[in-house]
Amino acid sequence: MTPHYRAAFQWQSRAVLGRHLTVYRRNWHTAALPPLLEPIILLLAFGVGLGGFIPEFSWRGHPVPYLAYLAPGMLAYTAFMTAFFQALFTAYIRMHYQKTWEGQLVTQVRLEHVVWGEVLWAATLGTVYALIVTLVLVGFSLAGWLHLHWIGAFLILPLLFLAALAFATLGLLFTALVPSIDHMNIPFFLVIMPLGFTSSTYFPLEGDSPWTQAWLILNPLHHLAEGIRLVLLTGEIDYHLVAACALFLLMISILVPIDERLLRRRVLGEG
Amino acid sequence: MPMGASHPNTQDEPVLLADGLVKQFAGRRVVDGVGLRCRAGQVLSLLGANGAGKTTTLRLCYGFLQPDAGTIRVAGIDRCTDPETAARRVGVCTQDDTFDTDFTVRGNLEQVGRYFRPRPPALKARIAILLERFGLDRYASAKPDILSGGYRRRLMLARALIHEPQLLFLDEPTTGLDPQARLEVWELIDTLRRDGLGIVLTTHYMDEAERLSDELVVLREGRMVAAGKPRAVLGDLVGEHVLVLEARDPAAPAVCEWARQAGLPELTRVLSDLHLALDGPGLARFIARFGDLRFEVRPPTLDDLFLKLAEKS
Repeated sequence: MTPHYRAAFQWQSRAVLGRHLTVYRRNWHTAALPPLLEPIILLLAFGVGLGGFIPEFSWRGHPVPYLAYLAPGMLAYTAFMTAFFQALFTAYIRMHYQKTWEGQLVTQVRLEHVVWGEVLWAATLGTVYALIVTLVLVGFSLAGWLHLHWIGAFLILPLLFLAALAFATLGLLFTALVPSIDHMNIPFFLVIMPLGFTSSTYFPLEGDSPWTQAWLILNPLHHLAEGIRLVLLTGEIDYHLVAACALFLLMISILVPIDERLLRRRVLGEG
Repeated sequence: MPMGASHPNTQDEPVLLADGLVKQFAGRRVVDGVGLRCRAGQVLSLLGANGAGKTTTLRLCYGFLQPDAGTIRVAGIDRCTDPETAARRVGVCTQDDTFDTDFTVRGNLEQVGRYFRPRPPALKARIAILLERFGLDRYASAKPDILSGGYRRRLMLARALIHEPQLLFLDEPTTGLDPQARLEVWELIDTLRRDGLGIVLTTHYMDEAERLSDELVVLREGRMVAAGKPRAVLGDLVGEHVLVLEARDPAAPAVCEWARQAGLPELTRVLSDLHLALDGPGLARFIARFGDLRFEVRPPTLDDLFLKLAEKS
């Protein structure tokens, strides 16, 4: 294992992760409101409200109401967006404005640990938020609005963590690249929002054009959303989950060294 | 209980021994062949104008940056081969306030203690001592944002000492502080020195360097231009005496001409005065020639050195 990845398991990365966890625990009652309320509002507005006007449609041969289609997509979207947002905005604030990183780097913590600490934290938060969404979906199921195969949830949570890790490394890439916080609108609205909505999360994306096919094959969020959907709606597993895992591992293996190199240049002026 | 090292280094080995340090950024050498030596209980000051390479040199020594060439030993540990152990033995107080604004004053000390292995022993007791000795106990539960500049510096110092380092790096420790707060920080630094801590600091405050330093290293454009005891460095670079006379004095042109013919450096204009650095025999010759002029003779200060360096660069 190269030093880039070995750092993920070293105590310094855990110390950085622990720091973020300590801060979050202190503010959990306010910090947990958005992930709790957002899916409730979205499921009510789009799933129940808008979904009431959408007749059941056929998804991969299964008749599916829109609320049932939306629920797994929201799980994938939550892990993706939370991890990305944390690694982009809040990591940037700690790096640039709060100078938290500089305070850590004058101890036994090195830059690779700061990077992994941020990535692990963003992934943890992404998974926790996805878990909260899962609990909301359980509530909807108990209310009789949703019928999902919950046994698959145990398989999904580790996968959501892996997804969140991968998207955190993507967020950190932009943290390293954007000249100022104002420039974050560029990756957010030109890359992340389009990616989030064209990945079979909120609506099915289909098409025979080579571009659409290439997009669907290479897009890990699409595989994640479709894989989770199949597990939760039918209890079955197919190639989407394997493809998602492979693409996330590829993202992590490529992006971690790049993030580290770019951040070394940005924070330390080296490289 | 001392605030710094509880395990002083052996008498023979300096707590910092750096040799031949080189660092380039974008092809430009910002540190070029610098060597430093600091013993336990000693304050070594790096002095120089902005851009002289002081902060970069310091950052190389405490491991924030990696040198392109050269060796650094911290308390007998080679920083290149064992950076983690070396980092355990140094404390760092950066120029900017880099305490964690998400934590209280006490929380800052607890948190920074978690960034070291082995963990600082008896951490709670250590924090209580640091809070008391730095006068921070009444702010222990407050966020650092509310602290004045002087108390923020105290917190930065306390953070740097949480793990009982043997060597302390201070990057411009009193920049931006009012005179009272500066004096208080100087007293704290002096206490730490007496506790046996090796201290390396950068400054461009001349009075600070004069008051605190046991040894001085003067940098210009990344290179060492002088090193030694402050008085010796001043003598070497500026001269034994500084002669001050009014620039408006009718005899000033004659003095300038006399200096030129004697092969002395040009007189330096400082506001309405002219300054001329002289050694003992030179001063005697001046008095023999211009004894009836109104002038003042004073020992050189680091301000003179600073002006001299600025003039040369």
